[in-house]
Amino acid sequence: MNFLQPLLLVALPLVSLPIVIHLINQRRYQTVRWAAMMFLLAATRMSRGYARLRQWLIMAARMAAIAGLIFAASRPLAQGWLGLAAGGRTDTTILVIDRSPSMEQEGAAAGGTKRETGLRRLKSALETVGSPKVVIIDGDGTKPIAIELSKALAAITEIGPTSASSDMPAMLQSAHDYIKANQAGRTDIWICSDVRANDWNPSDARWQAIHEGYQAFPNTVRFLLVAYAAPAPENLSVRVSEARRHVTGDGAELLVSLRITREEGGDGRINVPLQFEIAGARSETAIEMTGPHYDLKDYRIPLDKTRERGWGKVSIPADANRADNEFYFAFGPPVARRTLIVTEDPQASRPLQLAAEVTPEPGLTCTAEIVDLGQLSSVDWSIVSLVLWQAPLPEEEEAERLRALVARGGQVIFFPPKTPGNATTFGVHWTSWRDDPNQAAVENWRGDQDLLMHTNSGAALPVGQIKVRRICAAEGTATPLATLRGGATLLSRVATDLGGVYFCSTTAAPSDSSLATDGVVFYVMIQRALRAGTGSLEKNRDVSAGLPQSDNPEQWKRLAGASEAISTEYALHRGVYESGDKVLAVNRPAAEDAAPVVSDDRVASLFRGLDFSRVDDKAGGAGSLIHEIWRMFLIFMIIAMIMEAALCLPRRQNQASPISAPMRRESVVA
Amino acid sequence: MFPDRRSRSFLDPAVLSKLAGFPLHARKPMQGTVSGRHPSPHRGSSVEFAEYRKYVPGDDLRRLDWRAYGRSDRFYVKEFEADTNLRCCLVLDTSGSMDFGAPKISKIEYGRKLAGAIGYLAAQQGDAVGLACVADGLVRTVPPRRNPAHLMAVFDVLEQAKPQGTTGLAEVLHELAETVRQRALVVIISDLFVEPESLRSCFQHLRFRKHDVAVFHLLDPLELNLNFHRPMRFLDMEGGPAIFAEPNEIADRYQKAVREYLENLKAVVLESAVDYHRTLIDEAYEQVIIRFLVGRTTSQGVR
Repeated sequence: MNFLQPLLLVALPLVSLPIVIHLINQRRYQTVRWAAMMFLLAATRMSRGYARLRQWLIMAARMAAIAGLIFAASRPLAQGWLGLAAGGRTDTTILVIDRSPSMEQEGAAAGGTKRETGLRRLKSALETVGSPKVVIIDGDGTKPIAIELSKALAAITEIGPTSASSDMPAMLQSAHDYIKANQAGRTDIWICSDVRANDWNPSDARWQAIHEGYQAFPNTVRFLLVAYAAPAPENLSVRVSEARRHVTGDGAELLVSLRITREEGGDGRINVPLQFEIAGARSETAIEMTGPHYDLKDYRIPLDKTRERGWGKVSIPADANRADNEFYFAFGPPVARRTLIVTEDPQASRPLQLAAEVTPEPGLTCTAEIVDLGQLSSVDWSIVSLVLWQAPLPEEEEAERLRALVARGGQVIFFPPKTPGNATTFGVHWTSWRDDPNQAAVENWRGDQDLLMHTNSGAALPVGQIKVRRICAAEGTATPLATLRGGATLLSRVATDLGGVYFCSTTAAPSDSSLATDGVVFYVMIQRALRAGTGSLEKNRDVSAGLPQSDNPEQWKRLAGASEAISTEYALHRGVYESGDKVLAVNRPAAEDAAPVVSDDRVASLFRGLDFSRVDDKAGGAGSLIHEIWRMFLIFMIIAMIMEAALCLPRRQNQASPISAPMRRESVVA
Repeated sequence: MFPDRRSRSFLDPAVLSKLAGFPLHARKPMQGTVSGRHPSPHRGSSVEFAEYRKYVPGDDLRRLDWRAYGRSDRFYVKEFEADTNLRCCLVLDTSGSMDFGAPKISKIEYGRKLAGAIGYLAAQQGDAVGLACVADGLVRTVPPRRNPAHLMAVFDVLEQAKPQGTTGLAEVLHELAETVRQRALVVIISDLFVEPESLRSCFQHLRFRKHDVAVFHLLDPLELNLNFHRPMRFLDMEGGPAIFAEPNEIADRYQKAVREYLENLKAVVLESAVDYHRTLIDEAYEQVIIRFLVGRTTSQGVR
């Protein structure tokens, strides 16, 4: 139970007052000489059932009345705040607010979105509980904003939505850092979220550090999760997977491929009207979908022959979540995909060259240039999309060049050289070559994302067919993407803000592996890296909201999109922005579409050992997150008093009793 | 009336003079020694015709009814009822429980008044009066005599009676049933704090001996209702163990026990043909005696 005036609970021992009075009364007995002892003895021998129960009930009613009065005066709080505010007011209340697009889902009632409902509830709770200092952590969670309560109450409902996913571990880490830096005393952290897996990322290694960090605080930090986990089964989201210009015989057209996703649980046949808008010109079509996904491939939209670059928007009718009903895209002439192969043995790098040069679709230009270490200085790095490095790891100047490439979005895949050196790049270094006579196959790989992701149709790549005969493992802080039977890592990725850095532990040479002979996986891997690296070179391109950008978003100019977004948060809001000669279409990350909800047990496990409470709420709920329930205790007290009075009423005398009047005045004459 | 002119606390001349107009009758034929007001089981010489009886040799020829002989040509003897006096045996309970009573009067004092007044009335109409004080046994006893001086002895014993000891009423009544001559009026004045079932045999024993039994059951209103509002420690006036009790808690059960006791006692007295009077000691005793005397007058005449 939680109270706003917990000090008044000190008076709770007064509940025992009736017992004390009863005991005192027992000691104040009188002595009387009595003749009719036979009746007293008979009375004491009789069953005491009801009389004893009545006495206990009277005592209980009196105690309950006192308890009710004390509890009512202590101003108890209700609904899910168990464990919170139990010891009085807190020094600091940190609000961690999930502003991701999935929080824009509306409930059945017309009470607003999950975010709006949550903020309204938090404001109401803040007004009730009060806190000297309020810290708001929202969006990407990097900057805690500490404000006074009165300002927080005004500002809290102004927190708007974003198109970026929330990084819950980062937000809680930020809260942890704030508490540590400011030596905040008693702190409550109120989390408002829909507990989506892409926002919480429960398998993230940071959770362990966060958990340990909070446990190390001398003062207990209490967590309250206001969860809006209810899905919207009929919610649809639209995402453009590709928009490219295609020249036809008499003009040009735009080929748009998109996917419509229905949230988990939705079923049945539905018609979905699609509206395309390109340069103010709108066109509509309709599709009929039955399953959870619908892929529209290369939908043709006529273009002006002279328009080579541009942007557009596709939208679907409003549904439970308005934040995923439109998707911006940009298009322009395809950029040549240039691969730089750095090798110490040009002949051995032939498979790499083939994989990089073969174009996946007509109209694209794919080139691969093989250079050795001595020719690096003459390379034009600004047009390179992908670097395949099969040479001793770069140091100094070469390493700096690669870092610059990665920082602007370029991709690098390292293959082990013939003689692995001691050099370290991106925190990783090669070990020594070793033979694997068993030709280990790939046992596990990440099929949900990155280079080895499943195809658009959902089919898995035949990664398991790859055999590795020689391996030179990479050691360092890299995340495994594919591991061999026996535990060795075949492919790993180094965490970077932009771009991609991969380490492949074998080469494509037939003596080392079957990467080249079973070339599908290898080709897809190279092409995906090449495509990702080329994206940063395109002048018109799509970017995910919230991801770091190579150029400063504050310099962007908005062409379309949410007008409430301020310039510092352009990168967080969907829309089309102009940055110099580039046009960027910012949209929600792909993981936002139909992201699963983290199970209650999994969430609880993240806070195991910490003071954690959870309140499940619904979007559009009209009630308050907390409310005082002293009236209930007052009513309880009145009921207890009425019950006590009823039990204390003297019992009605039986008119036929032999003790009553007739016996007194009449004699029995036999 | 009082040869020694001593005033008795339990005798009120005003009350006695008021009661003088009510005769004390026996409900059954009494077997006295002299002529009196009460019916006798034998034929006598009163003016009240009883029956005709066939003449048998030896009968007094003066009692032959010659008119009946003239009508029937047979000899009949005409018989008349006999009136006699009675022996009134007053049995007063002097156990410790009789000391209980309201602030104004205790049960023993009330009993003294009842016994004194009934004894006086009986003596006044020529009946013999005796007294037995009963506690855990027969404490004092005065055999019935009919002279006024003997009445003073009865009053002295009444005055000296002290309430103490346990109640052994049942044993004493059995004893009295045997020791008192047949056909006497036995007046029991007691709080009867014994099991009703034990009294049943006593009353039937007295009835078997053809005694006319009257019972004054003395009760204090407080004993019936247990009207206390604080925890009480009850000390047994007859020396038993003390009991600590919360009156509010046990009042229901106490009253239930009282009710059961009174109902059982009522059944006993009805079956035993006892003249039973439940008497609350906050009531004026002369009213109780008047009710007693009037009740006996209406049931008089049974021989």
